[in-house]
Amino acid sequence: MTDDQLTELATSAYRARDRRTGRVQASPAWRDLDHAGREALYAHTVVSRALEAALDDDGQSSTVRAVLARIRGG
Amino acid sequence: MTDLDELLPAIQAGDAEAFGRWMVAAEPSLRRSLRGFATQVDTEAVLQEGLLRVWQVAPRVTTDGQGNSLLRLAHTIVRNAALDEARRARTLRETPSDDLDPAAVRVHTPDPFLRELIAACFEALPPTPKKLLTMRLTAAGGTHDKVLARRAKKKLNTFLQAITRAKKLLGQCLEGKGVSLEAS
Repeated sequence: MTDDQLTELATSAYRARDRRTGRVQASPAWRDLDHAGREALYAHTVVSRALEAALDDDGQSSTVRAVLARIRGG
Repeated sequence: MTDLDELLPAIQAGDAEAFGRWMVAAEPSLRRSLRGFATQVDTEAVLQEGLLRVWQVAPRVTTDGQGNSLLRLAHTIVRNAALDEARRARTLRETPSDDLDPAAVRVHTPDPFLRELIAACFEALPPTPKKLLTMRLTAAGGTHDKVLARRAKKKLNTFLQAITRAKKLLGQCLEGKGVSLEAS
């Protein structure tokens, strides 16, 4: 997988949870990125969340929706 | 709304929709606060974990009259979550100051004009990138891209390339309208 593809994969708000602790887990794609790739990922995520929020009727990014789904038992 | 504590009574009563509105206004500020950790932790995972902790502690929060009590506490929670994760993963390279910069606590206000521009650019996307980006948006972090790619009958790499392309086209469209969404 290329760095661009890893970045896009890690930009998704999908995050697994640790079955034992319930803690939100880091994306494996994030771990595969180097220093520069992680910087680029951060910037890409900021822009992506702004786009998502703008395209959502309630202004919610995928981060907000993912957290709400977990609060509601998803 | 500039003082998100207006939502606190509803949040404390267990109103998830109110917490959703709070997160819409708080997320950009909290994400910016994690910029210094971007190479040390997965800031998306840390932010989600931090927001879940905020929801858990919110019922016990008391306001101090200075405004945005929950948002200021959230900055501390998210920062501590980042430090915990960096220590756990042994990636911690620096420990930023414990002091919360008041200027960092900012309430995000949606820009209706920008929303219209983004919606117009989204509608102008070619069919395939638009369809795949819509799948990603609809999934809202609830489904792994591998599953979304399978549903779209695409290879994962092809799916990811299409999403990246869709965002680039959106960015180009917005730049054509004089708008830049680059991270600040």
